[in-house]
Amino acid sequence: MLEVVLNDRLGKKVRVKCNEDDTIGDLKKLVAAQTGTKAEKIRIQKWYTIYKDHITLADYEIHDGMGLELYYN
Amino acid sequence: MANRTDPAAKSIRGTNPQNLVEKIVRSKIYQNTYWKEQCFGLTAETLVDKAMELDHIGGTYGGTRRPTPFICLILKMLQIQPEKDIVVEFIKNDDYKYVRVLGAFYLRLTGTDIDVYRYLEPLYNDYRKLRMKSADGKFILTHVDEVIDELLTKDYACDIALPRVKKRWTLESHGILEPRKSVLEDDFEEEEEKEENEQMDAVENGVNDEKDYHHGRSPTRERDRDRRRDSHRYRDRDYDRDYDRDRGRGRDRDRDRDRDRDRDRDRDRYRLRDEKDYSRDRDRDREREGRDRERRDRDRGGGRRRSPSRSRSRSRDRKRRRSPSPRRDGGEEAKKKEKKKSEKKEKKDDGTDHPDPEIAEANRIRASLGLKPLK
Repeated sequence: MLEVVLNDRLGKKVRVKCNEDDTIGDLKKLVAAQTGTKAEKIRIQKWYTIYKDHITLADYEIHDGMGLELYYN
Repeated sequence: MANRTDPAAKSIRGTNPQNLVEKIVRSKIYQNTYWKEQCFGLTAETLVDKAMELDHIGGTYGGTRRPTPFICLILKMLQIQPEKDIVVEFIKNDDYKYVRVLGAFYLRLTGTDIDVYRYLEPLYNDYRKLRMKSADGKFILTHVDEVIDELLTKDYACDIALPRVKKRWTLESHGILEPRKSVLEDDFEEEEEKEENEQMDAVENGVNDEKDYHHGRSPTRERDRDRRRDSHRYRDRDYDRDYDRDRGRGRDRDRDRDRDRDRDRDRDRYRLRDEKDYSRDRDRDREREGRDRERRDRDRGGGRRRSPSRSRSRSRDRKRRRSPSPRRDGGEEAKKKEKKKSEKKEKKDDGTDHPDPEIAEANRIRASLGLKPLK
């Protein structure tokens, strides 16, 4: 179980608890539940790497407390 | 210049019609080559030609959210605002299904509630296949009536937020619309009549005939029917009064039966969509009627034998209510064990009764999204 921080640099900073074997798509759903935007509209990036929906957090080596960038489609 | 709305166009829902499409999706469309090349200087007539060339529907796809030609044409229609007759022509045309869906989508975005229901509901009868581009770029098979259903029930389609329309029953209660007649209604009526006639025959001809009637069917159906009959026989204890009144009503007049059936069916159809809008009284009435109808349909002469065999049925029911496996052990112990096992399982499964309230809350959200609980 880990906690990820997503920041969109415009005022939305959200901490989400998730499992290592959750996919990015699941993470987007959790973020959508917390922020109120639709899950399809969310884009999660790290610098210029756009994270794909079907890959798990463990495979992207996302650890506890890591910060990700939140963008919108 | 090319992206400016026609200055003579009316404002829709209080704003520039192009604003119906969100800013980000709109920018993506403006930067798209299909828009720049093909959609430059389109008029209503040339738009028809472009629409006939469509071969799939969809919103935006891929990692960078590229727009589909379908959604580019939607924005173009919003920009030039064709007349209502033209849009209705799009919908009525039978040859090109994508033109039809394009017209239907545009009407859903810009039309009044009455127009939306009036013009889109006939399209429920169109069950041709459509190709839809999903968000990850793959093609999905769907049908025209599925798409129309999404347009009428959901509030987000093809990456565009659909404006709110009033619920159908609101318009019906104001008398602006008539209750919906489905094309399949005749088929349903035939089936129901057949069932009811069989059931009525069985009840009227008495117990002996019922045995024959049961023998005529396949054994699984017979078992199902028996189980159903018994399972709700113990309910009869609670609903005696309703049941008696119902029996009389069911057998009296064909006309009443038909009327009840139609009323129930209509109400049932809207129950799923419009439950929260109904007042509580109507809910109760409808539920009772729905239950009565169920009982009427399922109770095959079981009521006749109700009084004499009541004590027997009660003990039989008590036996039947117990779980099937540990019947030999002698009841009470086995029941307790099963309850404990199911409780334990529930704790592990959901994770919503975790001692830490934050984690419990997170698990509840995960369960509602369909994800497993946190580890």
